[in-house]
Amino acid sequence: MRMPLAMLNEKEEATVVEVKGGKGLVRRLSELGLTPGTKVKILFSNSPGPAVIDVRGSKIALGRGLLMKIFVKPEAETY
Amino acid sequence: MIEVALIGNPNVGKSLLFNDLTGGKAHVGNWPGKTVEKKEGICRYKGEEIKIVDLPGTYSLTAHSIDELIARDYIVKEKPDVVIDIVDASNLERNLYLTLQLLELEANVVIALNKYDIAKSLGYRIDVDELSRILGVRVIPTVATTKEGIDKLLEAVLEAAREKKRRKVTIGYGKAAEKLISRVERTILKDKDLSSRYPTRWLAIKILEGDEEILKEVEKSRFRNEILEVIK
Repeated sequence: MRMPLAMLNEKEEATVVEVKGGKGLVRRLSELGLTPGTKVKILFSNSPGPAVIDVRGSKIALGRGLLMKIFVKPEAETY
Repeated sequence: MIEVALIGNPNVGKSLLFNDLTGGKAHVGNWPGKTVEKKEGICRYKGEEIKIVDLPGTYSLTAHSIDELIARDYIVKEKPDVVIDIVDASNLERNLYLTLQLLELEANVVIALNKYDIAKSLGYRIDVDELSRILGVRVIPTVATTKEGIDKLLEAVLEAAREKKRRKVTIGYGKAAEKLISRVERTILKDKDLSSRYPTRWLAIKILEGDEEILKEVEKSRFRNEILEVIK
């Protein structure tokens, strides 16, 4: 099951599957360490506003629009 | 006088290392974008006077933000004798991306493997010699908070400044891309002015990437049509 990172709640973990965006966005996010296969965790979510996520030991804040473009596989798979 | 630039991702301890080197009294804090202004200091070591320039914290050297552009322009245009790339040892993978870009820019890099104590306490074991061999640059473990490794770092900087050798390692992009890169590079070499100001391989890669700033620069060239022909 894959879903946008925006759908995850606080404290939930997931693995990045794909960034659906233009060349620039994909590059920018990979510079920040958000590449497919990377584990991420929602540290703080101000839904429907921005969220703070943990990526490779760094905290980064992303807007909801960006979070919608990052597709992840949630850690606690219930299916 | 030796000119040295400090560069690294945000939050790797750059400002702290800057203060270690210069004995500066600048406040070390964590405000985003704090170091957009140019911070300079002087460091004296073994009779050498070393000018240290603190560059903004950045994840890469593309033309996305003003911070990145400042850092990149400084390295390309001012050509400091040595660039100290401060790498967070506890977060090696992400940090090395910037390192590769610096090598591609043919900067004279010395790596400060900072937060080495944290990496150790996390149980990471880093083969420093092997890292140095792969990247073709000096790698010095440091702990900026306790000034550990600072003398060794300065020693490495002096050695690197004396050598002035550039680019020992080339990052390959696979057959198809390499063919394009060398084609663009050949056309760039026709423009003596352009090829003297920038590393030609780096320039070719940036043109293929569609880097806005670089394309603007190429527009000014007499050979622009030939150079840009390849990316049409």
